[in-house]
Amino acid sequence: MGCFFSKKSRRKSPKNDSALPDGDESATGNDLPETNNTALGSNSNQEAPKQYSWDKREKVDPKDFMLTGLKNETVGRLPGKLNGQQFVIQDCENCNIYVFDHSATITIDDCVNCRIMLGPIKGSVFFRDCKDIKCVVACQQFRTRDCKKMDVFLCCATQPIIESSTGMKFGCYQYYYPELAFHFKDAGLSIFNNNWSNIHDFTPVSGETNWSLLPEDAVVLEGVPLPDPESEFKSVRISTEASRSIVPLTKGGRRTESEESCLFVFFAGDYTTANARKLIDEATTKGFVLIQTKEVSMRPEDVNRVFQNNAENLTEWITKGPVVALELNGDGVVEACRSFADEVFNGTKLFVSESKNTSSRDVDNFFNFADMQMGL
Amino acid sequence: MGLLSILRKLKSAPDQEVRILLLGLDNGGKTTLLKQLASEDISHITPTQGFNIKSVQSQGFKLNVWDIGGQRKIRPYWRNYFENTDVLIYVIDSADRKRFEETGQELAELLDEEKLSGVPVLIFANKQDLLTAAPASEIAEGLKLHTIRDRMWQIQSCSALTGEGVQDGMNWVCKNVTAKKKQ
Repeated sequence: MGCFFSKKSRRKSPKNDSALPDGDESATGNDLPETNNTALGSNSNQEAPKQYSWDKREKVDPKDFMLTGLKNETVGRLPGKLNGQQFVIQDCENCNIYVFDHSATITIDDCVNCRIMLGPIKGSVFFRDCKDIKCVVACQQFRTRDCKKMDVFLCCATQPIIESSTGMKFGCYQYYYPELAFHFKDAGLSIFNNNWSNIHDFTPVSGETNWSLLPEDAVVLEGVPLPDPESEFKSVRISTEASRSIVPLTKGGRRTESEESCLFVFFAGDYTTANARKLIDEATTKGFVLIQTKEVSMRPEDVNRVFQNNAENLTEWITKGPVVALELNGDGVVEACRSFADEVFNGTKLFVSESKNTSSRDVDNFFNFADMQMGL
Repeated sequence: MGLLSILRKLKSAPDQEVRILLLGLDNGGKTTLLKQLASEDISHITPTQGFNIKSVQSQGFKLNVWDIGGQRKIRPYWRNYFENTDVLIYVIDSADRKRFEETGQELAELLDEEKLSGVPVLIFANKQDLLTAAPASEIAEGLKLHTIRDRMWQIQSCSALTGEGVQDGMNWVCKNVTAKKKQ
């Protein structure tokens, strides 16, 4: 069959190409049709090609959505300048790249020694053939292939995957700029669904690990610095402080000091996110550790299985929207959480573990359920 | 044998079960397409580590769709799924121009496979919702699809995410399954 896109092949002249069936409106040689909807097929009795939405929309210049071949520059997009479109970054060297907007999907190819900040991505981010990259990324899917030495501060809604990559290090997403929370919403990403620490490696090597976790005290700014104050990005008010991060910092797979955990679940309401953040602030101030969070929808049949004996009122609460669940860890955390529930969140629809004897079972029941929901 | 299973047997004759193999490079949109066919939520899809199967009713057929992971490392396993395939659906990310050569190469190798000989192939030029997506005609040309002589084939532009174009592709599948089965 051969492949035109192969570098070795040469383009056939249109006149030689007699194989296209009659009635086919598709391209013959250089005449690209005005519409791009042609359904080509082996059956020569083609019906008139259908018009799809992509045929009717305004044509754009792909170059407006690409950064190619840049060196030693500070580049990217300001808030509102990408607006959910696709973005492509390729062949860049020693650049600081900032995409301060939400996008559909981003591919990064053949980049070396770059520092990259990518605003929330609705679909996948795919790094290929990259080396010496430090980045901050929020996405639905995280993928790499043939990459070397990357530090990634990550918020990923699904399990991140790497292939043929080495020296990959991961830490929890930590970033703030004023529009970032809106960009997360626009991208359909929840700040509470972050699988940053459990990576799947398609090409594991026995005796070695291609990926590891960044040190807990890794500093984002040492990886991805603030934009040059002379650049177009000077107007973006960034903070990389832990307490201001749009995505709560979670311990993920890191080892914990204490055996005691507590499950805290907020049911859907007007202030669910704010309440969850408030709890996290209160708990971390008192020295407790946030292990993991999840935002997930529950059905009535899930409630009994997950909350068991405590399920009574909860069945009607889960119909209002997804719940936000948190696992907190530390000696005395259950007692502390129950106090928070009484003092700070009185009247809010929530669930807290009853005692430290039952709390680890609560945690397992809930997060196993959440993992099942969010898998296929 | 229960009443339900008797009814099921009466309803669907065995030769109306269709085995569909869904292949393509990683990140092409195969799993999104699978979920779309099954009318399921597509907002939370994870990269496929092994494979996914779903059965979908369509135009009187029961389609058993096998969605196999497309990472380079696991493409050698694709051949484990070739046997008894009635239709091959090959998914291309129309907006990933960097990998057009690679996807063309993989498709060419599939069409050379003994166990897939004569099997009709539907090529979905997916991700048409993205701004830099190449039109199906350009992809067809690049892949030299018109040189395919040994089987029925079709290229269909679509967006698995929005669903647009998907049903049109599946209509072709159902039409051509009958043809293949009659052989």
